[in-house]
Amino acid sequence: MNKTLLGYVPNESPIYAVHPFVKLFFLLVVSLFPLFIAAPEWNIMIMIFILLMMWISRVNMKTLRIYIPVAISMGTIIFLSYTVLGGIHPEYELLLNVGGVRFYWERVRDAIVVYFRILPMILTMVFFLTTSRERDLIVAMRSIRTPFVITYVFAMALRAAGMVLEDFQIVRQAEQARGFDSKGKSLVYKIRKYVMYMIPLFALSLRRSEEFTNALIARGYAFTGEFSRVKRADYVLTHYQFRTSDSIMTAIIGLSFIAILVLRYGFNYFNLDDSWIFAWLHQLLWGG
Amino acid sequence: MTAIIEFKNYTWRYLNTSAPALKNINLQIEEGKFIGIIGPNGAGKTTLAYSMDGLVPGQYHGIKDGEVIILGKEVEKYERGELQRSVGMVFSDPEAQFTAMTVEDELVFGMENLGMSISEIRERLEWVTDLTDLKHLLNKPPYEISGGQKQRVALAAVLAMTPKVMLLDEPTSMLDPISRKRVFDVLAQLKREQSNTVIVIEHSLENLIPLADQMVLLSDGEVMLFDETQAFFQQTSLLVEKGIHPPGAARFFHELQQKGYYAGDIPLTVEKAARKLGQMLPEFPSREEASRT
Repeated sequence: MNKTLLGYVPNESPIYAVHPFVKLFFLLVVSLFPLFIAAPEWNIMIMIFILLMMWISRVNMKTLRIYIPVAISMGTIIFLSYTVLGGIHPEYELLLNVGGVRFYWERVRDAIVVYFRILPMILTMVFFLTTSRERDLIVAMRSIRTPFVITYVFAMALRAAGMVLEDFQIVRQAEQARGFDSKGKSLVYKIRKYVMYMIPLFALSLRRSEEFTNALIARGYAFTGEFSRVKRADYVLTHYQFRTSDSIMTAIIGLSFIAILVLRYGFNYFNLDDSWIFAWLHQLLWGG
Repeated sequence: MTAIIEFKNYTWRYLNTSAPALKNINLQIEEGKFIGIIGPNGAGKTTLAYSMDGLVPGQYHGIKDGEVIILGKEVEKYERGELQRSVGMVFSDPEAQFTAMTVEDELVFGMENLGMSISEIRERLEWVTDLTDLKHLLNKPPYEISGGQKQRVALAAVLAMTPKVMLLDEPTSMLDPISRKRVFDVLAQLKREQSNTVIVIEHSLENLIPLADQMVLLSDGEVMLFDETQAFFQQTSLLVEKGIHPPGAARFFHELQQKGYYAGDIPLTVEKAARKLGQMLPEFPSREEASRT
């Protein structure tokens, strides 16, 4: 496992043979799939497919555990928003009435639909983060001729995020060394004392940005003027070749998206009326 | 020899400060020389380096008086990004100067800014990674390598741009003695094989002295002493008074001088001191005799 600013990536993986652009294209396009799919079983299939891709890519599946709390809290928020905070709808089928809080079948169903739309999107992002290094992102953006300024600002943002995290650890250790430790204290206490971390962190960030600007200028980077218009060689791209297999994968991803659109809007696929999960659930709750 | 860098009555005061950081500096640095700049903290060493790289006054607000002429042109007359093509700078904190995600990208960034072609970049990269022994680290993120390696990356990134003048601002202040030596080994090789003008601000005199052709002592923003390295360290009393601790060998001979036991040139390295001592003490056993006893 190698640590990146974005997470952990495997040391060796067949996915490294894939051009970074294909990975970025996969992220951007496949995460759109669930938006056009209402029936959860199809979105579950997308999730299974992505998990399979992760396994093939030798991603350490244990790292997925860190996303479980996110998935649970997100599910809870969605469920509460659609049910407890979902309002009164006499036209809907009432499932339960708990102390005046009405749980309607349609609202529960909608919560499940939304949740199973978001989960594959997150999983697609996790797949990207667990198989891509920071450099891949930059290469992917540069290979589609994104202006250097944009890719560079993006790279600097990634770099800055890593530095802030490192600085935060330094400040935290310095505070702990002087006897301040919020471990085991209440959340209110932690929030109140958070300023003790924030002020030095803010000061450090200002200093870092000054040093960073100096470093950029010292390396001959000009923000304006004649020397800012120098034609850049994009040396990093010489390490990557867009092979036939990459073209095929890009085409498959693109065609899959088109196929989903055609099936959804041309043949009315993926809708709730045909969902066997909901048919089964409805039958279970109402008994026929 | 022609002066590649020239300070003429140069004074710089940062905005909102009462005293100038540099006062009436007059200095001429000749092409191809290896210059060491020393001085206590707050002496103005970094400001002096920034003044040679255009960061002062380019990036800082302040009041300037006098001139700083680099390669025959006043610093302020250079276009943005032009001076840095001739003057490279390595900062003291390697972490703070990284701008890329891998060591290779870091080394390439400056060359791309200069508009070098891919084949030129490849050639330069090969040369610089050989010189600094970084080939095995090219795919690593710069924040994952050791402190010494980081500083070598920073040095290599500037070297790859082939500047005529290289400024190093306390390049080894954050390094352990072994890493420090490796950085100076690279500088020594550079001195042997290239003709760059190298200016190093450094506290580690043991490493600096064998390489430096000339030394500058800066104190309270003023140049107190500027001379050939050997002559520079003959002024041991002045150096000590200004908070500089010359190498042990030099201090020892200075003590002898003070006590009237020695009147010659003060040796600056342990080897030279041992030789000198051997000459002073005829009964001093030779290596062969010493090994027999």
